[in-house]
Amino acid sequence: MSDLVAALDPERVQVGDVARRLYSRDASVLRGGRAGVICFPVTTAEVSACVVAAVAHGRDFVVRGAGTGLAGGAVPCDEPVMIVLTRMDRILEVDESRRLAWVEPGVVNLDLSRHLGGTGLHFAPDPSSQQSCTIGGNVANNSGGPHCLLYGVTSAHVLAVEVVLPDGEVVVLGNEEGDSVGYDLRGAFVGGEGTLGIATRICVRLTEDPPEVATLLLDFMSVGAAAETVSAIIAAGMIPAALEMMDQRVVEAVEPFVNAGYPTDAAAVLIVELDGQPAGVADEIMRIGELASTHGARSVRVAADEGERERIWKGRKSAFGAIAVIKPDYYLNDTVIPRTKLAEVVERIYEIVEEQDLIVMNVFHAGDGNLHPLLLFDAREEGVMERVLAAGEEIVRVSVAAGGVLSGEHGIGLEKKRFMSLQFSPADLEVQSRLRAAFDPDGRANPAKVLPSGASCGHVTSLGRLPEGTWV
Amino acid sequence: MDSEWLASMSTCVQCLGCETACPSGVPFEELISRTRAVMSSNRRPPLRIRLGLRLLGRPRLPRWGVSVLAVAQRLHLVPRTGLLPARLPLGGRHRRSAPGGDLLVFTGCVMDACQPEIHDAVEDVLVAGGRSVERTGAAVGCCGALHAHAGLHEEAVARAGMVIAALPGDRPILVDSAGCGAALKRYGGLLGTPAAAAFSARVFDVHEWLAANMEVLPEPSGRSAEPVVVQDPCHLRHAQGVHGAVRDVVGPYATLVELDDEGLCCGAGGAFQMMEPELATEVRGRKLAAIGRAFERSGARTVISANPGCAMYLEAAGLEVRHPMQVVAEALEDRLGR
Ligand SMILES: Cc1cc2nc3c(=O)[nH]c(=O)nc-3n(C[C@H](O)[C@H](O)[C@H](O)COP(=O)(O)OP(=O)(O)OC[C@H]3O[C@@H](n4cnc5c(N)ncnc54)[C@H](O)[C@@H]3O)c2cc1C
Repeated sequence: MSDLVAALDPERVQVGDVARRLYSRDASVLRGGRAGVICFPVTTAEVSACVVAAVAHGRDFVVRGAGTGLAGGAVPCDEPVMIVLTRMDRILEVDESRRLAWVEPGVVNLDLSRHLGGTGLHFAPDPSSQQSCTIGGNVANNSGGPHCLLYGVTSAHVLAVEVVLPDGEVVVLGNEEGDSVGYDLRGAFVGGEGTLGIATRICVRLTEDPPEVATLLLDFMSVGAAAETVSAIIAAGMIPAALEMMDQRVVEAVEPFVNAGYPTDAAAVLIVELDGQPAGVADEIMRIGELASTHGARSVRVAADEGERERIWKGRKSAFGAIAVIKPDYYLNDTVIPRTKLAEVVERIYEIVEEQDLIVMNVFHAGDGNLHPLLLFDAREEGVMERVLAAGEEIVRVSVAAGGVLSGEHGIGLEKKRFMSLQFSPADLEVQSRLRAAFDPDGRANPAKVLPSGASCGHVTSLGRLPEGTWV
Repeated sequence: MDSEWLASMSTCVQCLGCETACPSGVPFEELISRTRAVMSSNRRPPLRIRLGLRLLGRPRLPRWGVSVLAVAQRLHLVPRTGLLPARLPLGGRHRRSAPGGDLLVFTGCVMDACQPEIHDAVEDVLVAGGRSVERTGAAVGCCGALHAHAGLHEEAVARAGMVIAALPGDRPILVDSAGCGAALKRYGGLLGTPAAAAFSARVFDVHEWLAANMEVLPEPSGRSAEPVVVQDPCHLRHAQGVHGAVRDVVGPYATLVELDDEGLCCGAGGAFQMMEPELATEVRGRKLAAIGRAFERSGARTVISANPGCAMYLEAAGLEVRHPMQVVAEALEDRLGR
């Protein structure tokens, strides 16, 4: 504590009970332990000093951005030093001609694109949480977003990262040119979930704004028909900029808030965004309209102006936040399945949830088969957690069995580490833990996360059989 | 309630941006108001703030005090803060209106004393549109917004009772201060009586009322006005949700420039700038940066704000700030024959 106060200033080191409780949670339902000391460094040197102080006193450290993570990545376990980067929020340099920018990790995703307004450039990864989540968190979770279908997830937009390694040393991985000489350590670091070190400066690639954008809203009387339309669009060789699905319950929850004119009586809607040259976009609108009607779309609406486009997107991006209208708690699952199995697996999810007598909302990145079933519940209800967990586990199994993967974009964190062996063999896991040890031989950086072999975390190790009151 | 908890609750500026952002409609204002009330019953706000707020409740004192301050200001005895306009009126300029107009214009306390010219502008515009106006005047006094904001629940309730009693009848009450308008609209919830609810239903932000009665506004005279940057006071945008009306009303008379910060707070927050000056300055810094970007983009040099608290706080940072109704009144000047 005194080392930390000496390295930062007293106002930026907190140990109060309120702060320790606040910083013990992220946006997931997962609970680990309590935060130890909470630090708010503002420079790379200060981050390094925090790491050195933690390690010198035998403490683990956990880095945190905005805490919007959904897999418990930033949840503390054994009273670690929490390194919170929200005050490192400067955009350091924008090089328009080379289409890159250097930013600090605490810059909020949307603030960067807003800052670029008028330059004709933007930062392509656009998680639905983009008005709150940090670019450091995006890098650590290799986050996606609706527009990553066409533009690729965060890793494709990170040229270089300055990293404070778990022994306090500062290195730069990657370079502004984006070509790797030797092993691509930048690539290894992205998606590290805070277990490989701390990103303190990030060089991101900027993407040119498309000359023309069209947003379509398609509505269907069955989820199956919507899912088949998704497969048909991709099979026809088109890759929209974004292709999202929302089921009826989501539409009903968000429509009163956004007034986007969503059809609340439809079983599912698809949001399709097309961008590129005007002629190409016009042609794709036609083709998608035809495909949609052969697959039973009730209507196809093309947003008439920017305002309408914004409202349609606002509805999609508000989906999680609207849940409290229905129930106070949610457990969001994030798995990926082959697009051709969408209709079948989504149908199965409704059945699983029905069997457990729960409510589900389905809103997801349909274009890349990334499912986000949200299980809604009231944690105060007796025995409800067991049913939620059972349903969640079954959804993961069904997804993996369908040829899918454990996580699309939210990371493994605490939540999915017990499922890692569903997807990886012991040899795979061993190689991954050697990579981790190469960055962090003493296991001080967010140790209880990602790999099943890592340290355990409070109650959360036995997710399947939780003691009373460990989830809220 | 330890000091850490108190600190985190009292550093909320109560901009209510969270209410606008929340898709689940969590009634945050309700929650924080009740929390503040409990807090202030345990730990009163500083004496100077309570005294200052008490003075606002005494209808004629603010005007008198302002005249004294105005003299002191001209003698350079008053430091420039966000609590006072850059140039206070010396007094004696208050217009009076005859009782019995079809519309009431709520004149409040600070604004009535410090910036009577804004009420004049409102009156000029309404009169130009053929309406007759009665000002509520010094006898009605303060709406209690600042008291409620500081957690002084009992004082706020008392002020609400007095204002309602002083303004019987069913004439619409137009308000040109977003903070007062929001407070008057909350009387129904604050007192929980049918009479208070009926009173609140008569309250309109002046832009809100004009936007719904656009025929009142004369045709613009075609004079191309200088562009102005629109600042949305939190109490207009988040609390009342009628910020669009400012655009409807001023749009025909001036070129409007939008900010790119989606209604970020300016940091003034009623008494917040006194209680948490450092934090308020930091918040204002972000606002100033957004305004700077808008100036750069558009060449505008003036900001319009429909709330005197925001206007004064931004003026204290060196900006030129006007009330939207002043812009409209000026555009109508020819017609008004001045
Ligand atoms: C409403 C909502 C919608 C969402 N939508 C999406 C979506 O569309 N797509 C998507 O991919 N995700 C989504 N998410 C999940 C989440 O927003 C992302 O994972 C985001 O990138 C996390 O950023 P953060 O700053 O909140 O990170 P945190 O939650 O604070 O941290 C996440 C992980 O990153 C590590 N970390 C944080 N900063 C650094 C750093 N500088 N260096 C090293 N490690 C670091 C932490 O240790 C932790 O393991 C959503 C979340 C919510 C609540």
